[in-house]
Amino acid sequence: MTFFKQIALMLSIFLLIILTTVLALNFTSANQSVQDRLYEDAKNTATSLSLSLGSANGDISMMSTMINANFDSGNYQFISLIDVDDKVLYERKAESIQMDVPKWFSNIIDIKAPIASANVSAGWSQVGMLNVQSDVSYAYKQLYTVFKNLIISFSILAFVGLVLLNIILAAALKPLKRVQLQAEAVTRNEFIIQEEIPRTKEFKDVVLGMNNMVSKVKAMFDKGNAELKRQKELEYTDPATKLRNRKYLIDKLPEYLKIDATSRGGVEMMISISGVIEANEILGHQKVDKLFIDIAKIFQECANKYENSIVARMNGTEFSILLPDCKADDAKTLACGICEEADKLIKDNTLDTKVTFVSVGLYEYNYKQTIGQLLSMCDNALTQAKFNTPHIHLDKAETATEVMGKDAWREIINKALQTNSFRFTFWSVVNVQNKEIDHDVISITMQTADATTYSYGQFMASAHQVGLSSKIYQNVINMMFTSPDISLKGKTCSLRLSYEYLHEQNTYKELTQLFKNHASKLPFKLILEMPDKLVRQNSQEIQLYKKLFETYNIEMGIFEFIGENVDYKYLQDIRPIYIKAEASYFISQSDQAISSLRLITDSIGISLIATSVMDTQTLDKLEEKDIHIIQGRATENFI
Amino acid sequence: MGNIKKLLFLLGLFGYILMAKEPYVDKQLQDRIAKKYKIFAKKRFYYLQKTLDSVQNGTDFEKLDAVNRFYNDVRYASDMKVYGKKDYWATPWEFLGKDRGDCEDYVISKYFALIYLGIEPKKLFFTYVKSTKFKAAHMVLTYFKTPRSEPLILDNNNRKIFPASKRKDLIPIYNFNGESLYKVSKSGANKKVKSRKSHKKWDQLKLNMKRKKI
Repeated sequence: MTFFKQIALMLSIFLLIILTTVLALNFTSANQSVQDRLYEDAKNTATSLSLSLGSANGDISMMSTMINANFDSGNYQFISLIDVDDKVLYERKAESIQMDVPKWFSNIIDIKAPIASANVSAGWSQVGMLNVQSDVSYAYKQLYTVFKNLIISFSILAFVGLVLLNIILAAALKPLKRVQLQAEAVTRNEFIIQEEIPRTKEFKDVVLGMNNMVSKVKAMFDKGNAELKRQKELEYTDPATKLRNRKYLIDKLPEYLKIDATSRGGVEMMISISGVIEANEILGHQKVDKLFIDIAKIFQECANKYENSIVARMNGTEFSILLPDCKADDAKTLACGICEEADKLIKDNTLDTKVTFVSVGLYEYNYKQTIGQLLSMCDNALTQAKFNTPHIHLDKAETATEVMGKDAWREIINKALQTNSFRFTFWSVVNVQNKEIDHDVISITMQTADATTYSYGQFMASAHQVGLSSKIYQNVINMMFTSPDISLKGKTCSLRLSYEYLHEQNTYKELTQLFKNHASKLPFKLILEMPDKLVRQNSQEIQLYKKLFETYNIEMGIFEFIGENVDYKYLQDIRPIYIKAEASYFISQSDQAISSLRLITDSIGISLIATSVMDTQTLDKLEEKDIHIIQGRATENFI
Repeated sequence: MGNIKKLLFLLGLFGYILMAKEPYVDKQLQDRIAKKYKIFAKKRFYYLQKTLDSVQNGTDFEKLDAVNRFYNDVRYASDMKVYGKKDYWATPWEFLGKDRGDCEDYVISKYFALIYLGIEPKKLFFTYVKSTKFKAAHMVLTYFKTPRSEPLILDNNNRKIFPASKRKDLIPIYNFNGESLYKVSKSGANKKVKSRKSHKKWDQLKLNMKRKKI
């Protein structure tokens, strides 16, 4: 129960008690006053009647008449005349009492009409005692009217009082509400500064304290952000040409060389500029640098035609252009164009193209290759190119004979989709510090009609190739929500969503519907992982996903992080629960870069998780970098 | 033998102390009266106690006579003169303390003194009368030996007590007995309550008595 509700309840009860007490006192006083009135009336009658009876000189018939006259003209319960021996001389009693009030009222309220007495004498002799009691029905009626009026007026008072109390309390506790919102925001790692400082001293101190704290955390985040940006600029950018550098290419290549990569393969160009020393002697360093920049522009223009291409300067004289989804022939045409353009520039700078020239080694790669293979094959092609005329050489990866063709895969996957033959498998993400499972990663397998089971790695590449990966995700997510695995009850599980699936037009709509119908029944805590490539765009689409996830208490994680962005504000906006990056990424980062990243993530409560941790050596290196949560084969040592 | 006499004497003394009646005006009240009304007032109360003690074991008439004579020595004065009020019922201590009062004050003081002497309250009535001699409203204390017997009149204008038939100068108007007004009636109305109040002046007097107003 909130503080406001507690205070409101307490004061309301207090107010109602006061009002009820006042009502009760008022009613009791009215009751007493009615009873007093009853007595006064009876007493007046008794005294005046006893004086009259005295004049009858003990004549009973005369006295009876006098009593009758009085009794009939007024409201009396009874009038009796008792003689000195306590014998009733004459008595009149009301035959029935007509109550004009509800029965419950007369049952609850006990009105006692007191008996008033007066001595009756005739001359010096005593006649007896006259007793008079007033009729209570009139008193009941009067009291019931008083009661009704009291209830009405006190109900109005109570209502007005409670409304006023609520308004006053809401106004008085408004600053507290703002403090609460600010505190909640801090819990969510949001930085809200309260501009309006409350006047109440206690609230004022709390708000100032919170503002101070939030400002410090915000400053810490900004500092980390600025530092990381600076680091990234130094780490991933070639200062002369402003192109990416070798490190960037190496960190980025895993994204292209993986089973579920968006691109199945392409061409990697390795370009070398020969005769630089001679050029320097003729033109001087400055002009040669300018020439390099101009040549780099040519590379950039060529690469721009291909989505997700990377242009990087590998060293002083070598450049690389990664062209995903580029055919060998197209690349060769492109390489010819580059050579021609470069030669033209070299000639324009009055240099000899026989001495200073550009060589392009082309290598057609596929996603199954390793980074080492790719680079060494490119180097080979480049070496060869330098001896060719024109200086271009193309090598192709030996295409492994596919067991099944595209059509066969399409048929198998389609069947699996129709028969819903996907199953979940799990592996754990472990915190090596406390040796506890951080969460379980959900993966999928596919079973065919002939009982063959394909792992994610086996079928997902082909699914991408035949354009069915999004359908698989759709199917799997649907399955996870509609028939969740009960054995996961109480656990935290993550599921990776691909860039392509999230980019599908209907995905957001379908997820919304699915969450609406089933999210509340999910027996485990779910983290949906989104690729950094998508999240870092911080687009409206991502904001929508974030809101959707928040609504249904689903966390968002980030995978394939390489800290590429120039600004990390998106991390603050999105506030993922964790960031997953390849172990090699963390290991290759400088201590300064890692601590800058930590400054950001720690200030907003994001965990860092290393993936593909295969052996203890990698694990040790990660521990040196202060990365303790791991995913990969090495986790087996801790489970 | 001598020892037995001593023992008997001591037992007798002890018995006397135990049986001795409380004084009409206790020591504490006497001191307050002395303080307020000076030494003569204290003396008056001393003589009152002496008078009451003298008839403690007498007949009702002896008690009535002694009390009537004693109080009739007090000087008459109107309430307006003594208390600045048109009508005021003084307590016996105020009456004897000031040594003056009007007819109601005589009646009240006589009534309580007689009650002290053991006269049953139901036999004593406050009677409003008209004095044909003075042609004025007056009050006397009446004593009924039995409810049906002729009452004796204790009047401050007359030192002697006479039966009602001998007092042709008084016309009875209304009489009341404060205590009987409190009695719960035995007639058909016994389920109802009797009021704690009975007679306005009488109720106020009882309150003043309780507070020991002097």
